[in-house]
Amino acid sequence: MRKSLLALSLAVAFIPVTAYPNTTINGFASIKAGMTTGSDERLYGYDDTLDFKNESLIALQVKSDLGDKLSVTAQLLGRGRDDFDVGFEWAFISYELSDNMTINAGRLRTPFYKYSDFKDVGYAYDWLRVPQGVYGLGFDTIEGLTFYRTAQIGSVDSTLQLIFGGYDGNASLSGAQVSAQIDNVTGITWELAKDAFSARFAYLTGKTSIDTSPVTLAPGFTVGNLYQALAANGLTPLVTAIDIDDESSNFIGVGLTYDDSDWIAVAEYTRVEVENSFIATQKNWYVSLGKRFDGITPYISYERENNDAVVSIYQPYTGVLPPQLLVPVQGLVASQERDASTWNLGVRYDFHPSAAFKAQYSSEDSDTTGQRNGVLAFGIDLVF
Amino acid sequence: MLSRFLAIVLLLGGSVTAIPAIADIAVIVNPANSVTLTTDELTRLYTGRSSALAAVNIAESSPLRSQFDEKGVGRSSAQLKAHWSKLVFTGKGTPPPELATEAAVIEHVAQNPNAVGYVDVASVTDAVKVVLTLN
Repeated sequence: MRKSLLALSLAVAFIPVTAYPNTTINGFASIKAGMTTGSDERLYGYDDTLDFKNESLIALQVKSDLGDKLSVTAQLLGRGRDDFDVGFEWAFISYELSDNMTINAGRLRTPFYKYSDFKDVGYAYDWLRVPQGVYGLGFDTIEGLTFYRTAQIGSVDSTLQLIFGGYDGNASLSGAQVSAQIDNVTGITWELAKDAFSARFAYLTGKTSIDTSPVTLAPGFTVGNLYQALAANGLTPLVTAIDIDDESSNFIGVGLTYDDSDWIAVAEYTRVEVENSFIATQKNWYVSLGKRFDGITPYISYERENNDAVVSIYQPYTGVLPPQLLVPVQGLVASQERDASTWNLGVRYDFHPSAAFKAQYSSEDSDTTGQRNGVLAFGIDLVF
Repeated sequence: MLSRFLAIVLLLGGSVTAIPAIADIAVIVNPANSVTLTTDELTRLYTGRSSALAAVNIAESSPLRSQFDEKGVGRSSAQLKAHWSKLVFTGKGTPPPELATEAAVIEHVAQNPNAVGYVDVASVTDAVKVVLTLN
């Protein structure tokens, strides 16, 4: 009995994929190499030794149509920087309510930006990487529900998306990996397209909690130690004003695109706010312009990041804070200050029907640190 | 000097013969279908923005495919593939299925009342109806 069950499951396992006409397998891959242009420079995970792993990735997607408007999609992705350990980037069931309305449930991409949904699919855009000054927020995936509605308003194509869910995972804060949670994520995105023009608007809100206590401020002194010392000095209100505990947060994104098949111009502006915390309000934007010459697309883009540290948090306390506590508080708040601009110059070359070669030079200037970092990277993006 | 001139002539001659013959393309539907199509609507069908008709493509290996991508959809094959990869890898759409030959496209359209496809005008048979000619 057991044996026949095993035989049956083996037989099922070895039925070729083509035996399921309603299941499709697709994939994409990027193999990229890069290095910084100076020995003391660090940018996008690169240093001055040529690295083939940092931005390389490979993904497989299986979509199975179960009939009656129901389908299931799973996307497995492995990143070189994680040693190609594979995880589910997307995993959702999809139900078509009608020709122009769909509801998806499961693990989805948080729709912050114009390129959020497919930022790992390098083949889908011209840049070697999406502009990190804007796209570096994190919180890429969300577990929840999303609803899409497409419509034609006159000659304008409209896509409306509503999203509900939550994030529970890691976040990167001042270079440290910390655990983070965003509850009650509620968002709306709306994209309008007519001929070569399209415009996109996104607004998301949620309640953010980030456990910053393991972050080290000085050798042997963590943010957790700081909070304890402040509380012991009767400054619990200051702890509440600094920490990130169930704080109202909001994200606004505006994007504009012009693509007439010859010229492609893209601009995005985003603003991120986590109220009642030491996180600075982040106001970031980029503009990009490319020109297609047959299979060759050179492009140039400029990114700007402007985050003012929220020094107002501790100003009421400067008179009462002992210096050994004021200095780390100032340090923590100042760590969020960022004033940087980046120039990118690159080219996409469609050398194959399913693959593109890309090369990009990026130079970031930080007014906050006074440091300039340059990265030269090249590689191949393909779909299959 | 002469050899250089010759080289240029040969190079030009070579590149001219390398360009495949440009054919007029007939967009075809089932004879039972009374639909009229504009190039705008055709673009919408082949970019996934409309599902009013079930579009089919001819395989990428056929030279007709890249000509249709340019003339029918107004984009290069690579741009169109980049466009579809956005939809495929976000679960938002599946590109039109590909058929290997023009005969297979005609047979598919002849058998499916809701199908739309395209072939070289010279290949059209009376099993299908031409709704648009691209030249």
